[in-house]
Amino acid sequence: MNSFSVLLRKELRENVRNFKLYWIPIVFVIFGILEPVTNHFLPEIMKSVGNLPDGAQFNWPQFQGEDIFVSLMSQYQTIGILVIILAFMGTISSERKNGTATLLYVRPMSFGSYFLSKWIVINGIILGSVWLGFFAAWYYIQILFNPVAAGDVFAFLATYSVWIIFAVTVVLFFSAWLSTGAAAGLSIVVLLILQIIDSVIGAFWTVSPWKVSTYATMMFSSISNQSGFWMSIGVTVVLIGALMFLGINSAKRNAAKTTV
Amino acid sequence: MTQLLQVNNLTKTYGGPSVVNSISFELEERTSTALIGPNGAGKTTTLSMLAGLVTPSNGTILFQNQPKTDIRSSIGFLPQYPKFFPWLSALEFTEMAARLSGVEARQALEDAKKTLEFVGLGDAMKKRTGTFSGGMKQRLGLAQAIVHKPGLLLLDEPVSALDPVGRRQVMNLLKELQQETTILYSTHILNDAEEMTDQLLFLRKGTLVENGSLDSIRNKYENPRILIEFETEEELVRFETVSPWMVTKVRKMATIDAVKAGVGISEVLALLHSKKFSIRKLEMQTASLEEIFMKVVMEG
Repeated sequence: MNSFSVLLRKELRENVRNFKLYWIPIVFVIFGILEPVTNHFLPEIMKSVGNLPDGAQFNWPQFQGEDIFVSLMSQYQTIGILVIILAFMGTISSERKNGTATLLYVRPMSFGSYFLSKWIVINGIILGSVWLGFFAAWYYIQILFNPVAAGDVFAFLATYSVWIIFAVTVVLFFSAWLSTGAAAGLSIVVLLILQIIDSVIGAFWTVSPWKVSTYATMMFSSISNQSGFWMSIGVTVVLIGALMFLGINSAKRNAAKTTV
Repeated sequence: MTQLLQVNNLTKTYGGPSVVNSISFELEERTSTALIGPNGAGKTTTLSMLAGLVTPSNGTILFQNQPKTDIRSSIGFLPQYPKFFPWLSALEFTEMAARLSGVEARQALEDAKKTLEFVGLGDAMKKRTGTFSGGMKQRLGLAQAIVHKPGLLLLDEPVSALDPVGRRQVMNLLKELQQETTILYSTHILNDAEEMTDQLLFLRKGTLVENGSLDSIRNKYENPRILIEFETEEELVRFETVSPWMVTKVRKMATIDAVKAGVGISEVLALLHSKKFSIRKLEMQTASLEEIFMKVVMEG
């Protein structure tokens, strides 16, 4: 446990000093603010800069506050996931590649502590950023749209957080297993492409990690499929555990690949 | 002297021919051993296996007479090009290194400061390592390797990358460390080994081809020759007729292989004196360290 606290402090220092602790929350919060604000002012924006002919009439959709949460989530599902991948694809692989890992690996530290310290710090940063982003959106939703029940918001955020932790674990696992480039590529396949595939042909099944975000949006209405929801959460949690286990083993096995 | 490390039949194979082929050696406590060989001889792989980075394909490691596969808690390791997290200061890094090796938090900070003073980074300990020069990095590398007072210090080419001044400084530090710890270091520069080595291990293509003290290896390979340069070629011809030893001639010079002929320089001198040869030069020649190196590690 001693090596764990030392490594945890190292990860924290790293993310403070390379500014990831600052810029990632800022990115998520900016999206969180822009989503309700642009949606609210869209008719005016279109009127002033949209070059519409005189007398053109549009029926702008009447967004509810809940819809804004959902559309912000779909922003995070693409841009947010890309931020996670790009910011953390080299967490383990680039330490190995540039040789900084060598001086850690020759010490009696456990690879469990090594992997877990990174997992906790990255999840902390990303979850904090996602929650901050939604809170910022919530603030503007209360002002510009209708109030949304706090219970729904927290149920939504809690469910969506499971998916976010899954995404972080996938990136970290690939970084432990492969080189930075391959880790980025496969993370994109697993987190973005499979997500699209699941939404296109996923009507045939109800249990999958890629459905967790869809189930999260149902927190604002009602869940049509209770058991499908809990099974998806269960499968995702089991996958997170399995990927962590495999990630720790990969990090250990790849220790010999560190640049000496 | 007590034995610290015993390596038996250590082997590393990556599919093809062995990178390290069944090498065995022992390290006594508080001695320095140089691992010598050309590039690609397997020096770094050997050190990496001892450091726990690379898993041996075969062989055993005994540390303090205990069979061990992981001796990481008892070693300090300095890679040839140590890489540091550029966003940590020298003090932060050294402290982290000490704590990861099991030193208590408060003790670690104190030890880190002392060690950095020792390696001459006292003024730079608060600076981030990203700004360090090559020489400073090498010294910081040494600091992180010794901060937890390991029983065995593994150094991969500790001075090869340094300029003459930095090299001198690091050699002096190593000589001080030699007093209290066991050192195994690799080098391809024999003059460095000459300065601080009790034992030499010569590696060639992954195989241990020679193992012994500097003196014993010298004796074996220095190949002493007695060289006589005469005033005229006639004198050389006359010498050949009276010499009881095998003589090799090159112009006005005669060379006698001292070991084969079983002769010392004084006997040659006595003969030259008694028969009144006129000579220009008489000298004993031995192979230089570079020649020994070439002989041991290059020839088959």
